[in-house]
Amino acid sequence: MILVPEVLTILILNFIFMLFASIAFFLSLKIFLKWDISSNSTLQYTLEKQSYLTATIIKYIFIIKLPLFLFFIFTLDRLSHILTGAMCGAGVVDATDYGNYLFVLKILNLYIFAYWLALHSEDMKHENQPYTKAKFGLFIVAFFLFISELILEGVMFSSIDLNELVSCCGTIYSSSANSYISKIFAINPSVLITTFYINFFFIVLFYLLKRSYLFAIVNIFFILISIITLITFFGTYIYELPSHHCPFCFLQSDYYYVGYLLYLLLYIGTFYAIAVGFIKTQEQTKHSNFNKSMLFTFLYVVLVSLYPILYYIKNGVWL
Amino acid sequence: MIKLKNINKIYNLNKNDTVHALKNINFSINEGELVILKGSSGSGKSTILSLIAALNKPTSGEVIVDGKQISKLPDNFASLYRRDNIGFIFQKYNLIADISVKENILLPLIPLNPKEEEVEKKLNMVMHQFKIAHKKESLVRNLSGGEQQRVAIARANVNNPKIIIADEPTANLDENLSLHFIEILKELKFQGKTIVVATHDPLFFGLDFVDKEVEVTNGTINL
Repeated sequence: MILVPEVLTILILNFIFMLFASIAFFLSLKIFLKWDISSNSTLQYTLEKQSYLTATIIKYIFIIKLPLFLFFIFTLDRLSHILTGAMCGAGVVDATDYGNYLFVLKILNLYIFAYWLALHSEDMKHENQPYTKAKFGLFIVAFFLFISELILEGVMFSSIDLNELVSCCGTIYSSSANSYISKIFAINPSVLITTFYINFFFIVLFYLLKRSYLFAIVNIFFILISIITLITFFGTYIYELPSHHCPFCFLQSDYYYVGYLLYLLLYIGTFYAIAVGFIKTQEQTKHSNFNKSMLFTFLYVVLVSLYPILYYIKNGVWL
Repeated sequence: MIKLKNINKIYNLNKNDTVHALKNINFSINEGELVILKGSSGSGKSTILSLIAALNKPTSGEVIVDGKQISKLPDNFASLYRRDNIGFIFQKYNLIADISVKENILLPLIPLNPKEEEVEKKLNMVMHQFKIAHKKESLVRNLSGGEQQRVAIARANVNNPKIIIADEPTANLDENLSLHFIEILKELKFQGKTIVVATHDPLFFGLDFVDKEVEVTNGTINL
């Protein structure tokens, strides 16, 4: 186990989260099974009181977990300085068998947490709390994913062997690597870029047509295509190196931490789109979520597109 | 207008010091009525007031105001209900001693963020109505008990609420001031307010303009 201050902070917080999330889980289970808003029984009044407490616990865990993801990335980056061979967080993620699963789980949880918060916020806008059962039901599912994430995180940090040589990002994110990541390099980049902009075109189209469900669906695809194109195409222009495809290095100071901005824009934009499609809200809220999603997604597209354009203007060639 | 159906209120439920404050209470108050809840200390009068004001929730049963079940309202909606419908007069006035009369009276208006002219209009109206205008800029700590009472009444009315709730309003007043308070209640009743007063002060009993006297004894009521 590497007990640097950052890892210790994460582990202590995880322990606290686990404690509170377990309390919230048992209360959620009770609320989910016995909630009946039309009842005036003692049990229902007790559940109503407990629902405020439970929702507050969950809300604060999730609110803290969202920025904590950025701290996790920062920690990976810090750990790369003490792992032989690692040049950035990618090497740390790849240092154990659990890193990649943890990363995917963390991203999935981020969307679930934010979705829960949006659902809770909508629920509290109505006197009859129409989403109470749904939000606590969702938490029951999220709890297992959340606990899996915390356990996996502990296991990952404890399995990092400081004496073992790890791969650097240049090796992991290359066509010669023997992993699922290498398969994306087999696809023609122009196909990927075309798909990226066509996907964005549909986002704009469904935004203008205000088709919420389709808007959410194309945004879910957009998460995937954005990450792939960031690795295969746009990243190379951020680094100005045709062979460097790492999705972690641009989180470092050498690249003005632009990675944090890119991932945040992508996350916020796509999250609001999911909220538009999958949470029934008042028209005003829906309209506002549409706009927020479009704004952040648009900024993401502009920012990633600027890198190749500026490179071409400066050098007169494409990479 | 106000309906309490099968209300039970148990404090410290499932603990050693359980108190069954209200036992299967049923009664209603019509719009514009003045109702006196009388009974000794600990009989459950204040608990009834807190349920009507949505300050507390029953352990079981329904509190319905204007057709809306307020006992089921989430906290944020309960706050809005109180802001828009309820004026409180407390036994100890609950004024802020270190700010002026004017500032105390305006406190309920803060969440509404009204226009300045509207604030002035409302302020002047209640200050004149309850004869406290001459003390507008005085600090509450420098006022007599009767004056503080009038500030509390003005504050309870500045929002023009439909329901006035008073909990032992004359407990700290001498007889003359208590009689003056009763006159004010009469005036408010004729303005169409629904008023619920919890008291054990005999001055309130047998008044001709009171619509209902409800005896609260050990968590039960006798109409």
